[in-house]
Amino acid sequence: MIAGFFRIVKFSFQEIFRNMSLSIMTVLILILMLLSINTLIIVKVLTDESITAVKNQIDVSIYFNPEATEDEITEIRDYVSAFPEVEQENFLDRDQVFEEFKKNYFDNDDVLSSLNELVDNPLGPTLIIKTRDPKDYEKIIKALTVPEYENIIEAKTFGDTQTAINKIHAITTNVQKFSYFLTILFAIIAFIIIFNTIRVAIYTQRAEIGIKRLVGATSWFIRGPYLIESLLFSLTSVGVIYFLMNFLLKFLDPYVSVVFQKTDLLSLYFSQNIWMILGTEFAIVFLLTIISSGLAMRRYLRT
Amino acid sequence: MITLKSVVKKYSSDSIGLNGIDLHVESGEFVSIVGQSGTGKTTMVKLLIAEEKATSGIIEIGGWDITKIARADVPLLRRQIGVIFQDFKLLPKKTVSENVAFALEVAGEKRNRIKQVVPRVLDIVGLSHKIDRYPHQLSGGEQQRVAMARSLVHRPKILLADEPTGNLDSINTQEIIDILKKINEFGTTIILVTHNREVVNQLKRRVVTLHDGRVISDEDNGKYRL
Repeated sequence: MIAGFFRIVKFSFQEIFRNMSLSIMTVLILILMLLSINTLIIVKVLTDESITAVKNQIDVSIYFNPEATEDEITEIRDYVSAFPEVEQENFLDRDQVFEEFKKNYFDNDDVLSSLNELVDNPLGPTLIIKTRDPKDYEKIIKALTVPEYENIIEAKTFGDTQTAINKIHAITTNVQKFSYFLTILFAIIAFIIIFNTIRVAIYTQRAEIGIKRLVGATSWFIRGPYLIESLLFSLTSVGVIYFLMNFLLKFLDPYVSVVFQKTDLLSLYFSQNIWMILGTEFAIVFLLTIISSGLAMRRYLRT
Repeated sequence: MITLKSVVKKYSSDSIGLNGIDLHVESGEFVSIVGQSGTGKTTMVKLLIAEEKATSGIIEIGGWDITKIARADVPLLRRQIGVIFQDFKLLPKKTVSENVAFALEVAGEKRNRIKQVVPRVLDIVGLSHKIDRYPHQLSGGEQQRVAMARSLVHRPKILLADEPTGNLDSINTQEIIDILKKINEFGTTIILVTHNREVVNQLKRRVVTLHDGRVISDEDNGKYRL
């Protein structure tokens, strides 16, 4: 049993080295497929980052009535924080709001002179809410639009941002749909390419498979070297892609950081998920090569 | 050793390979199967190595009924029968010694034994000086001798030779026939499928003649009569 296994391993190495051009071709095809998958991952990371960046630009502000009491404000803040959809809430008291307002209108003399004429701060506190998903703003706003809060809350900026929120939501959904479509398309193309590469490789060896059968080799003795070859091809291609991606990400990251103001965004994502990415890619390539060789070989193993 | 009882092989209703063959070959015999092309000679070889299954009838080899042999048992059968073909059927990416050793490796023979046996068998067929050559570096006669070494290496009781001299010149043909005779002298049953008149006449052994999938003559010390 063990001797048989070592013989199979020996034969698989012999096959690889004695069919060097075919082996290199197969590994190259696998590398190209993995490169496509990794490109897709890069696109996904960048898309997600863009969506997050845009989402972060959106928030809902709750403007309190200047006469609202501390208790009333605290009650509403606690109420809002209790929503699981709320990711972050930032409270600005009256003075902070006044300062912000002045900052925003620093170049508008009319507004600033009007403010100076006022004895009291006319602005109430503001609560800035960020939800996990833009579509959740509607729920928060609805929850706050109740008669009990009518005298406490002066205004909500939901109306102003609703169109933007809807647009972002639509873009996000479409980008995700496109990403899924692209993934499926790539998977189909990759399967067809790998299947045909392996099939051609086995087709060229059909006579040899027949001869091996003729001298009494069992199916597993014939299949074994192809399995080991598949394993070695998968390991080699994943190993090569690891180094290729390292170079590619180091090249891309400076450009990405200009856009997103984050250093090593892609390298970080890949290093944090490296085992998951390489493991999944190895599993995909190994399974594909095994299935392809199994299907291609089946007809030659019948006699 | 080999028994065929009313063996029929039909490929379709109007294509019959063998049409009711009855044949018995004793252990140690040297039998030539002759006949024109398409008379069923190769079909018979394919049935004997279970490459194809008979439509009806019974085929026994060494008391083993292989008529309905399970697919998993086919390798076991083939390890007990040596086969050589007109086109040699050598593994092109393996050297001479690797080709011969392969027949033992698939049978699970130990490494040490393979190391001992392979050079010995290659010596018998006169190729001990070319063990590291690849098939494409050998002449047709040498390739056939490698094929013979491979078929003999696990000491089969039966050797099937399907047109072994079909691709060879007269000198190489004679060499192959001499080796076959030598093997037969050691007690191996030889079934030689051929349409080489001179070879059959020179052998002066049993000759079975096929025509349209039937045995039309079966003679000891026979001659090629077609």
